[in-house]
Amino acid sequence: MRVRLALLFIAVVLIWAAPSGGPRRLLAQTSIGADEIVGRVQQAFYAPGKDMKARVTMTLISAGGDKRLRDLTMLRRNGTGGEQQYFIYFHQPGDVRGMTFLVLKYPRRDDDRWLFMPALNLVRRLAARDSAQSFVGSDFTYEHVSGRDLESDRHTLRGEEQRRGKACYVVESQAQSAAEYSRKVAWIDKATWLPVEEEYYDVRGELFKVFTADEVRDIGGHPTIARRTMKNVKTGHRTEVVFADVAYDVGIEADVFSERYLREPPRRWIQ
Amino acid sequence: MLRRLPEWAVTWPKLTVALAVALTMAFAAWLPGMRTDTDPKNMLPVNSDVRVFNRQVEQWFGLHEDMIVVGIVRDGGLFDRAALEAVGRLTDRIVRLPGVVAADVTSVTTADNVVAEAGTLSVQPLLPAIPVTARDVEAFRRAVMDNPMVVDRLVSADGRATAIYVPLERGANGKEVADRIRTLVGEERGDLRFYVAGDPVARDTFGSEMFRQMALFAPMAGLLMLIALYAMFRNLALAFTIVGVAMMATVWSMGLLVAIGQPVHIMSSMMPVFLMAIATDSIHIFNEFYFRLREVTDRRRAVLDTIDTVGAPVRYTALATAAGFGVLVIGGIVPVRVFGLFTAFGTLVIRLMSFSFIPAVMMLVGEDRLRRASRHESMDAGASRSLAWLGRLSVSRPRAVVASGVVLLVVALVGLPKIRINNNMVRWFRPASEVRVADAVINERLGGSSLLYVVASGQGEDALKDPAALHYVEALQRDLDQEDVVGKTTSVVDLVKRVNRVMLDDRPEQERIPDSRAAIGQYLFLFGMAAKPATLNTLITGSAERANLWVQLKTWDAGVVEQVLNRSQAYQRAHPPPGLRFEPAGIAYFNLVWNREVLRDMIWTFLAALAVVLVILTVSFRSWRWGLVSFVPLGLTILLIYGALGYVGKDLDMPVSVLSALSLGMAVDFAIHFIRRYRQRLADDPDTGRALLWTVARPGKGIVRNAVLFSLAFAVMLFSSLTPYITVGAFIMAMMMLSAFFTLFYLPALIVLVARRDRTAEHHPARAR
Repeated sequence: MRVRLALLFIAVVLIWAAPSGGPRRLLAQTSIGADEIVGRVQQAFYAPGKDMKARVTMTLISAGGDKRLRDLTMLRRNGTGGEQQYFIYFHQPGDVRGMTFLVLKYPRRDDDRWLFMPALNLVRRLAARDSAQSFVGSDFTYEHVSGRDLESDRHTLRGEEQRRGKACYVVESQAQSAAEYSRKVAWIDKATWLPVEEEYYDVRGELFKVFTADEVRDIGGHPTIARRTMKNVKTGHRTEVVFADVAYDVGIEADVFSERYLREPPRRWIQ
Repeated sequence: MLRRLPEWAVTWPKLTVALAVALTMAFAAWLPGMRTDTDPKNMLPVNSDVRVFNRQVEQWFGLHEDMIVVGIVRDGGLFDRAALEAVGRLTDRIVRLPGVVAADVTSVTTADNVVAEAGTLSVQPLLPAIPVTARDVEAFRRAVMDNPMVVDRLVSADGRATAIYVPLERGANGKEVADRIRTLVGEERGDLRFYVAGDPVARDTFGSEMFRQMALFAPMAGLLMLIALYAMFRNLALAFTIVGVAMMATVWSMGLLVAIGQPVHIMSSMMPVFLMAIATDSIHIFNEFYFRLREVTDRRRAVLDTIDTVGAPVRYTALATAAGFGVLVIGGIVPVRVFGLFTAFGTLVIRLMSFSFIPAVMMLVGEDRLRRASRHESMDAGASRSLAWLGRLSVSRPRAVVASGVVLLVVALVGLPKIRINNNMVRWFRPASEVRVADAVINERLGGSSLLYVVASGQGEDALKDPAALHYVEALQRDLDQEDVVGKTTSVVDLVKRVNRVMLDDRPEQERIPDSRAAIGQYLFLFGMAAKPATLNTLITGSAERANLWVQLKTWDAGVVEQVLNRSQAYQRAHPPPGLRFEPAGIAYFNLVWNREVLRDMIWTFLAALAVVLVILTVSFRSWRWGLVSFVPLGLTILLIYGALGYVGKDLDMPVSVLSALSLGMAVDFAIHFIRRYRQRLADDPDTGRALLWTVARPGKGIVRNAVLFSLAFAVMLFSSLTPYITVGAFIMAMMMLSAFFTLFYLPALIVLVARRDRTAEHHPARAR
């Protein structure tokens, strides 16, 4: 599948470069295009392995230093044609313990989301209209967690530079469809295809959020961001996330991602 | 030294003028470094309790200090495609304005709404996309009218008005943002009407208008005075001298103020007009000089004699004025202290000029012209004749005159308790002004533009997830809703009830608080998962230890805020809260405290100024009795003006309180002049009646001239677009005219009576002891 994606990108790059004449075509053929970089980032960031499980702790820290904890188990399984399924089980905060959340993600289409509320013993479907929606009240949006369609932005390669000690591509993405940002600048580690840092600019062109990958670990051959921070520089609020007990290709069954398991979470995967 | 100064100035007049000009230039050199502070909020320091707590609350709930409300009205109803498109377009453009907190602008196109659609729970903007068909529009109408969190806050109950709430970044200027919004609004075509209101608009418009109008009024006052002075003295050079002295004093004080690094606040911006008015006291020198010039042939002698006679009263009036302003320093309001200190300094500069610059100019002006002009000056003609008539009446029927004064006193005392202390910043603008109209429309149609927070704090984390706590908040909310001025209340309870209903198949009877703490916790979590974090955070903190009850008021009256808070306290006394504490915050609360603090400070300094003036009068006359007698015209004037305020029913608001404290030191001048000159005269002519008549006719003319000039300086304020300026202009004019009249009418009668008692006491020495 990776080969197919790469071929697709090369095709896209060629088609894009074709009308613009000799020298540029040469350039396009010899160096990497922005869309290809972003395609690789999406693969490395959101879809490594056939499946994944992780214990995720999010610490929400207000400008005044107040801390709130979100402790959850996240299961992910890659489907066919870019589809993905996420299953989330909340351990903390205490009053939502046992709450479960299912996301079925389709390329170029709104996600399906279901939520189980233990207090009411009720499963409800949630609409997912707003891509800028915060993920569990943190500074991350759903798109930060599960990715954003490649063609939702126009990507431009701005150059290459050292960032946080890594050789990086600098890619600028202009939002073409609804987003919480109007422009994003990302520094992509050439070695891992993971972002090292990202800057988000609002409608007025002002910086409002900064993402940093604070620790990257190799897990089963997949470079994985084990610690990351998203900081809202306008409000001073930030969210620190730790991915622990990460494992890839553990063989999570497809039927885990169903309403039945929302009510009775799969003990095997959730400790 | 001050005694030698006039002689020196008269001997070297050109050098004196050159020196004065040079010094003024030196002070003027500081002026380019001037910084201005147009924010009336800064009357309370940034670290005052209310501002610190407000900042704390803003941090807890991710709120913003200032918010502009844009009201949009369409008589045919807002549920119309073009109208909704316009609202959406305007929201998009406002979000892009500098100074606006883009993420938190709230309108129907951005506000989170919880709805259930075909079994799917959805948190989405109230109006995610502009409806195309009539059916879509109707669906939107139903969604809005069905949601109690939206009606009256975002859309009026009659569906004809909507609001865009525009929070401002810290330090942004409300007037500038409002002006930009007005520009955007001006580009809209169609049948919508737009209104831009809110505290920052009023406050910052007021602040910048104050500066603008002062820049206009100070020169106008100068020009008016110049014309009046020329009419009085028929000599342009002398007329220019008084105005010039005022300008020099302004440059000196402003220069010094800038030099020590203080910004020019709205208070200090009024300094030029005040100094202009204070400079009119020099008129007594000219008044006497013209009389002297007819009596003495040598001009140098005439100048020195004039200074000799008028010097003492001028010195004491300067002292009284300077002290009146100086007293402001004891208050707690920093900009008022700065204003007091530097106006006192300016007053002393004016006095210095009176003994140096003015005599020097008198020596330099062409003597022929002066003598020709002074020929009009006579005690038997014009104003002096009318004054003599007034004096005769007072001296011949002292008891009747004093009795009329007592009647006035009683009338004033009856009016005093009717005074209503209140402050409403929007009413600082004229009724037809854009700011006031916008505010009235929004308050009439929607929940209200004035925002009060009542912060509920529980004990420890998750306290506000307790159903009992939420039931209490709801009950308090319902109680506050009873108050007519409360247009809309919003709290986390509304949100929890809404989610409960939507979760339970959107059944209207489920619009209630669930019975279990876990359900409330999960609802809040769910909402936090689905909505913009800010929407939840403005109502409850992440720890759920505190919740914020939004109370929208339909008026900016400080008194109304107090009334609502009293009601909240009364409710809590009658129904003790379950482990909850309630504290007020927000801009409406700030205005209440601001008003209360400044008012208290002003009343206190006003009383202190009265005491200081009395002491100075006593010291000046070296007699308590003369001190008290000379206090009568000022005291009666003040009581009468405040009594009138009570009868008219005008609020004693902040500007009135500030400016009445300021004007004290100036209104006492007349009595000082009168009594000083009378006692000087008495040494030459021991007959009480004759000496009094002379005083009324000759220095009295100076007093009338002074009062007229002083009033003229403030008369320009009557044309202001800001009502406090109009009030202040009228207030100070009334004060000057009344105290001049009372000085000339009541003092002679009082002095006659006192003199009679003294004589009786001499006849019965035993009783006197």
